[in-house]
Amino acid sequence: MTAVSRDDLPPPGSGPGTTTRPAPPGGLAGSRRAEPADWVVALSTTGPEQQHALRLLHQLMVRAAAHQVWRMRSALPDDSPASVEVIVQQAADEAMTALLAKLHTFEGRSRFTTWAFKFAILQASSDVRRLQWRRREVELRDLDLGTIPAADHDDAERSAEGADLANAVARAMATVLTPYQRRIAVALLVDEVPIDVLAERLGTNRGALYKTLHEARRRLRAELTARGYLAPTGGAR
Amino acid sequence: MTTPRPRPPLTPRAVGALLVDTTPWLSCDECFERMDVHVEALLADPHHRDPAMEHHLQGCTACADEARSLLDLLRSGTI
Ligand SMILES: [Zn+2]
Repeated sequence: MTAVSRDDLPPPGSGPGTTTRPAPPGGLAGSRRAEPADWVVALSTTGPEQQHALRLLHQLMVRAAAHQVWRMRSALPDDSPASVEVIVQQAADEAMTALLAKLHTFEGRSRFTTWAFKFAILQASSDVRRLQWRRREVELRDLDLGTIPAADHDDAERSAEGADLANAVARAMATVLTPYQRRIAVALLVDEVPIDVLAERLGTNRGALYKTLHEARRRLRAELTARGYLAPTGGAR
Repeated sequence: MTTPRPRPPLTPRAVGALLVDTTPWLSCDECFERMDVHVEALLADPHHRDPAMEHHLQGCTACADEARSLLDLLRSGTI
């Protein structure tokens, strides 16, 4: 796969979306007419057409990354225009590398531009979350099992809402989840640590953490259904 | 006068998040693979349904944020 270096790309500030202010993205009017008829072919065949396609693709990545960083800018420790610009450019570069490595998987089931944007959005959002949490400790703590009240015999007879449901969920966490599942669930859903931040700190990946969370939720729902807190088909009774 | 019940160890928000039904199973990677097609389908038809995607997005804050952002970017109509 073709590698792309910064030297192949327009300098910062030369293209749409690379303005010095972190403005939300505007149009791509200047380059739209020149879009390749077949992006995959244009990006895969060496020569001037490939260089042109790479430049256009980088503009798309910058635009989507700028859109994402702009949305999340309040989470940034430093949201100055210069800092935002650096984050946008880095995310666009990394997303472009990730996209080019997966170019052969594009099946044409969506517009190429839509397919491309998601790489930049994923990279930019992940980068912003990491920056947001860079100086924050991530504690993999257990639920404080000592504070969970014992079940009242008529708990499930009450409305399965509020404190009764919260206590029932906590008891279920203590009984049907492994300590690891409980800690992951607490970090992600109680302490609201972003999943990619937690994955990075634990040396794992988003997919593995989500799988743990999925299994924890499945066990909790089964337990609460068995105890009458959840209707068999869905939500709280 | 009644004794106040101890504060539950989980907030309503956490309880809701813990009890999201994320079946049928869809991984974050699969969600990413399908996100462009899903978002375009939603733009074409707001009633478009994909239960596996919808359940994943309800249970995965990061993927949900990204899908919403992609939808907004396309909706902005400037591309
Ligand atoms: Zn996900």
